[in-house]
Amino acid sequence: MANDREILREIWEGKLPICFQLDENEVYELQQPDPFFLMVPRLSYFPLVTDKVRKHFSRYVDSDKQDQEMWLEYDGQPVKWHFPIGVVFDLYVGSDLQLPWNITVHFDKFPESQIFRFSSKEIIEAHFMACIKEADFLKHRGHVISSMQKKDHNQLWLGLQNDKFDQFWAVNRKLMEAPSDQDHFKYIPFRLYIDDGYRQKLVKPVTEDGRRKTLQDLLSEVFPDKSNIKVRTHGLLPPLDTPLQWMSEHLSYPDNFLHLCVQT
Amino acid sequence: MPSSLLFAINNEGRVHTLSTSGSVWRELPYVGQEFKKLSAVPYFLWALGGDHQVYVYVHGLDIPIRVREESYENERWIPIEGFTSRLLPTDRYHFSSVDGTVDRAIDKIRLPSMAWQWEGDWQLELTLAGQPLDHNGWTYAVDFPAQYYPKKQWKSCVRRRLWVRSRRYSAMNSWCAIAPLHKDATTEPFIDISVGGQSVMGAEPGTMLVWAVTSHNRVMFRTGVTTKSPEGAKWISIPVPPGCEINQLSVGPTGLVWAALLDGRALVRIGVTRDSLSGDSWVEIRGPVDSSRIIQVSVGTCAVWAVTQDKQVWFRKGVKGEGAGISEELAAGCGWVEMVGRMSLVSVSANDQVWAVGADDRAIYFRTGVSTADLTGKRWRALHAPLQVSRTSSNASLNRDKFHRSCNSLNQRPHSISEITSGIAEWEEQSHSAPTAPTSLPVGDLTGKHFEAQLKNPKAWSPVRSVGSVVGTEAHPETDDSVWQAEDSGNSSLFYAEDEELCWAECEASWAWVEAGACTVDPAQLPNWFVEAGSLHQAELEQPWRLKILEDLRTRLPTQALYSNYHLAIDTTSWTHSGEARVSLNTPAFAECILQLEWVHTNGILTILNPDGATTMHQFSISDMTCVQCCSEPGSPRLALHTPHLSPSYMRLQFSSDTQMEEWQAHLANVCSQVHNISEKPEDTSIWAITNLGDIFVSNSLDTESSQQQDNIYIQEIDLAGKQVPLNLLLHAGCIPGSELILTGCIADDADRIAINLDAHSSYKLRHKAHTELQNTNLHFNPRFADDVIVRNSMIDGKWGEEERDDEIPIKRGQEFTLKLICSSEGYSIHINEKPYCIYKHRLTPYAASVLTMWGKVQPFKLIIKSPLPILDPKDLFWRQLGGHLRRIESCRTGVTWGIGYDHTAWVYNGGWGGSFYGSLDSHSVNPMTDSQDYRVYENQRWNPVTGYTSTGLPTDRHMWSDATGKQKRTRDQVKLLSMHWQWVSDWLIDFHVPGGVDREGWQYAMDFPSNYHANKQFTDYVRRRRWYRRCAIATTGPWQELGHTKLLDVSLEPVDSSADCAISVWALASGGQAMIRVGVSQSNPMGTVWEHVNSDQALSSISCGPYNQVWAIGKNGCAYWRVGIRSDKLDGDSWACVEPPSGAQLKQISVGQIGVWAVDNMGRLYVRKEVSHVFPEGTSWHCITADPPVLSSASNTSGFKQVSVGKTQVWAVTDGGVAMKRHGICPENPAGTGWNLGITGNWQHLSVRAL
Repeated sequence: MANDREILREIWEGKLPICFQLDENEVYELQQPDPFFLMVPRLSYFPLVTDKVRKHFSRYVDSDKQDQEMWLEYDGQPVKWHFPIGVVFDLYVGSDLQLPWNITVHFDKFPESQIFRFSSKEIIEAHFMACIKEADFLKHRGHVISSMQKKDHNQLWLGLQNDKFDQFWAVNRKLMEAPSDQDHFKYIPFRLYIDDGYRQKLVKPVTEDGRRKTLQDLLSEVFPDKSNIKVRTHGLLPPLDTPLQWMSEHLSYPDNFLHLCVQT
Repeated sequence: MPSSLLFAINNEGRVHTLSTSGSVWRELPYVGQEFKKLSAVPYFLWALGGDHQVYVYVHGLDIPIRVREESYENERWIPIEGFTSRLLPTDRYHFSSVDGTVDRAIDKIRLPSMAWQWEGDWQLELTLAGQPLDHNGWTYAVDFPAQYYPKKQWKSCVRRRLWVRSRRYSAMNSWCAIAPLHKDATTEPFIDISVGGQSVMGAEPGTMLVWAVTSHNRVMFRTGVTTKSPEGAKWISIPVPPGCEINQLSVGPTGLVWAALLDGRALVRIGVTRDSLSGDSWVEIRGPVDSSRIIQVSVGTCAVWAVTQDKQVWFRKGVKGEGAGISEELAAGCGWVEMVGRMSLVSVSANDQVWAVGADDRAIYFRTGVSTADLTGKRWRALHAPLQVSRTSSNASLNRDKFHRSCNSLNQRPHSISEITSGIAEWEEQSHSAPTAPTSLPVGDLTGKHFEAQLKNPKAWSPVRSVGSVVGTEAHPETDDSVWQAEDSGNSSLFYAEDEELCWAECEASWAWVEAGACTVDPAQLPNWFVEAGSLHQAELEQPWRLKILEDLRTRLPTQALYSNYHLAIDTTSWTHSGEARVSLNTPAFAECILQLEWVHTNGILTILNPDGATTMHQFSISDMTCVQCCSEPGSPRLALHTPHLSPSYMRLQFSSDTQMEEWQAHLANVCSQVHNISEKPEDTSIWAITNLGDIFVSNSLDTESSQQQDNIYIQEIDLAGKQVPLNLLLHAGCIPGSELILTGCIADDADRIAINLDAHSSYKLRHKAHTELQNTNLHFNPRFADDVIVRNSMIDGKWGEEERDDEIPIKRGQEFTLKLICSSEGYSIHINEKPYCIYKHRLTPYAASVLTMWGKVQPFKLIIKSPLPILDPKDLFWRQLGGHLRRIESCRTGVTWGIGYDHTAWVYNGGWGGSFYGSLDSHSVNPMTDSQDYRVYENQRWNPVTGYTSTGLPTDRHMWSDATGKQKRTRDQVKLLSMHWQWVSDWLIDFHVPGGVDREGWQYAMDFPSNYHANKQFTDYVRRRRWYRRCAIATTGPWQELGHTKLLDVSLEPVDSSADCAISVWALASGGQAMIRVGVSQSNPMGTVWEHVNSDQALSSISCGPYNQVWAIGKNGCAYWRVGIRSDKLDGDSWACVEPPSGAQLKQISVGQIGVWAVDNMGRLYVRKEVSHVFPEGTSWHCITADPPVLSSASNTSGFKQVSVGKTQVWAVTDGGVAMKRHGICPENPAGTGWNLGITGNWQHLSVRAL
């Protein structure tokens, strides 16, 4: 069970300083807008935290384009909004401690071929809940999530949206409990980001003979032919002897997945 | 859930216990007797010894088992001789029982067995219904049986007096042998024993049923086993059907008996009810399979488990213990279900949890996942608890290689559970790493204390010595403290030998028997008995990978300060919340509305909108709200919001569901706390209160106090500009010597007479059932401008005194003025416009003044009150709710607070907050908490000559189903639970324990409604009634810790001195009315360690201890008692002294503090003890305070007082209308005070101001 509150709290408190700047080509007014500085929770999603950014910049762009969808770009690539912010950061920025994280804001030329459109927060909520459901199918064959009520689902989402640790964990705790007849999950929900995509595989938290698997075991199961791989999550490199079950309980993002970025 | 014990016997016949709060098996002190079988109910353990005799072991009771033997001495008056013991032949015995039917000659009353001891000699009872009798204790009557009077009259022909003597069960915490069936114990030894029946429906509380099987396969039933008589009376043989040879049997908690026959079938006892505790007949049950016979059965409440010869485990489905007495079907069940796992023995606890001994490995298993919905559970889980082995154990020497003893680890024996587990893990590691180097056991020690103890008097434990001989009484609690010292915190209810005698070892325990009858575990919160999983987590905290991760997480943002000017993406400081509800503002009716709560940074506004959402019905700031209370009725979840200074002073909201109500309750309670800047633990000196619904509130007056305080005086400024005259201003601290009132204002141009009065509470005279109000005025200051004179006077009981006049008027019409009143012990010194004007000598005590009134053409501007005491309006107290459900609460100066639930469970405040409807976000150290309550309805019937008693009454009669008064109609199916947290835990049952007694069907008879009811139908009885009850239980959470098993009626706490962590004297009453003190309570250990029983002849119902050396109690007979001889080194004092109650009244509750001794009687009247002094602490007489009109009109349905709480400087009372009020005007000359300052109508039930 996820009862190491110290770790959970630290994970939850994780924040990133971001400096948003409007793309120079899109500035319509004479005056250049000031950059917008924001402390953003690593566990959240960009569409949930960028209302203020949009408000700040929208008066500087062409009035025709004001109502268009805002999108973000870092290092020439559009930012994938459906990943948790911490994952995006670990993926693109990694260990370069170039903080604050400079992100360019665009209102024009939405790169439809590269990222999904998001018209409302309901879409991101639906995506988030879908992830949680998928994770629970891996962990408990979906028994826990399907026994929850709508209000529990709401509480998870609102807890994340309003940055309420206790509200979120009051429900998430049930999702992170091992089934009553075992002391571990059925499979570990994880996404292992490599190159431009991610890998998923059915990995059990214990071996056939009941030994607890570690991160090393997971990596060698997914990449049997590679060795010396390191993964980054929450801005750190977890030791390879960290037990998988523990990692899943404590280091998962709110969508209940472990998001591990392979370091190249 | 308090700790309970699991018992087991190992392969050497030694009895071990495992506490649900511990994690180590401990051996019961070995006294030379091995045991084969065990059967247990809480506190009582029955065992079959290695000698095939039966033993009983009573343990863990905080209150000694005491029985009061009574015998009435009867005498008749005969002319010339006077009263003599020669009675008429038709009369009763000279010494008889109360009804005269049984001969109770004093010399024939003997101790039932050697396990009992007399406490003192025969003594006379010298009171009758609380009123003292003359020194011989005689009561007189016209004839037997009749009404007895304390005084002799001309017509008194008979008299009687009561002799009493108490005996005590002295074999507590030791094995007591039950006499064998025959003189030669070997003639017919026993082969099985079982105890149960602690919850037979409707039976007398404390009943237990003991069944046994002899080697001749006779079934024996032990009569008269109760908590008051642990050994019972005698064995009676219960016939079995021919051809049935019983081998083993088991009694469930509801009295259901299953027996295994030698041929493999089973028998079930049918008809076990309160009237027939041993049942009526046997019913035969076939075994599950023909090939294998049943060898053992175990009965729980709704579950029967059996083991067959091939070690297969079977569950009997369809058994329901509660109905088993009346239904054969429910007793016998309907079929066997095969379970996985090979076991040699199963044991089912009272809550149907199952333990077993494995057939192959001899380990103890627990069945996980057993619930009321799934009685068969999920899987077997092995218990891994280390064993504490005594050196007398042969296992110790056998397993010497595995046996590790390290002085070091012994000395640092860990105390907390987590430490224990980590410690055990160390030992485990040792045992794996160094099996070749054991520390050897000093052989010399083997002749330890216990061997000596055995050898001293081997006869003492020989059962052959007959009735109730006591095994191993050498180690008697009173003579040998070291051996019987209870373990830490008093939670453990058993006594163990000293640690030096014992070792801790992880030897492979091999178990022969497990007994769960006394063990209660919550399947959702298993005890720490499964070491593996626990130690794993503990070890995790120190793992390098975890530390590395934590370290990395903390250093993710190295220079936090750099980004301090960044906005937070998610702002949580301002928000709104809205929803629909129904509101009752000024009328009792509820109207639809929309609620809107708006919170901006530090304050908020609650708006109640009409359903259109546009127009406002009512709006107020959160800072005006002093209390948010649940006031639900079944089916209508409601909240009451108190805004005492607004109109209306409170409003009620009704919600569509409990969840919605609690959501609002949490929001409102949170914002209130934020506005009042209250968080975390309440101050030590807080007022605690309980509502009628059992909700707990705490209020802290320090806030207002500190804001008023300036240089040791308290200052309050009241702005009066714009206020209309006449004006009444309540002076909450009065105007006592040392106070100053400064009033500024302006006189109108056309003013004629104005008055500024310092009024006291009115006194009331009751004449012809109507109160006459008699005004009291301390000072009447009356400038009369037309006459150019200032008149000063006082009014006492409605009569003006002599006027003091002054012709000089420093105040002028049309001018501003400053009036200053300085109160000293002699009088009021009056200053006008900063110049001394005059001194007015007190005519009434200055402590009485409570209101400043003004009339006439004057416009006041401002009033400044300076007072040596804090100025506190009881209405201004902010009440904050804490989770939990209680009936009573008591606190003391150091903040140690105890509560008592409706089920009499004692709870100790653990310093946390939140719980209940508060989310986990706003809670700290909350525990699960349960409480239970009975709903009661009365069934009424009337007799008519044709059909006998029927439920058709006369048209004028009460409802045939009603409440106790008969005024309200109550049917059983109408009764609903209060909220979603309550659940029914029983069905509707007939209550056989109604005051006045009942007949076999629960009926009470009377001439007519409403009347006195009696148990036996008499010729003149035309009506009868019986009481039905149904129990429901609440599951909630709160910052409370359950205190042991002993149920409490009342408790009172008082620090012994004023040092920081001083001892606290705690007096309590056990549910039987026995007084106890709790040892070792202090601020750092609020739960204390153990109870110590204090003898009292009378059953008590209320207790209070003021300064620690002043302890008063109320007896069940309505008498008051005062404890003599309490010193700081002898907190329990010497003896009780009886204090006569007020004539014609029976006292109900008492509270004692430095300021006085106050009591409430059963008619709702208050009494103050007069002339209590250091020299004469028992005082002289009771002064009665009845409810006067201000009290009666404080809330609807108020008729008197419910409870009183006396602190160091204040007296508060709670009325039966639920208003808490503070007594005003108490001073040394007038300990009764003059009037009441009312608080909010908070539906209060109980209040404690003892911490103030």
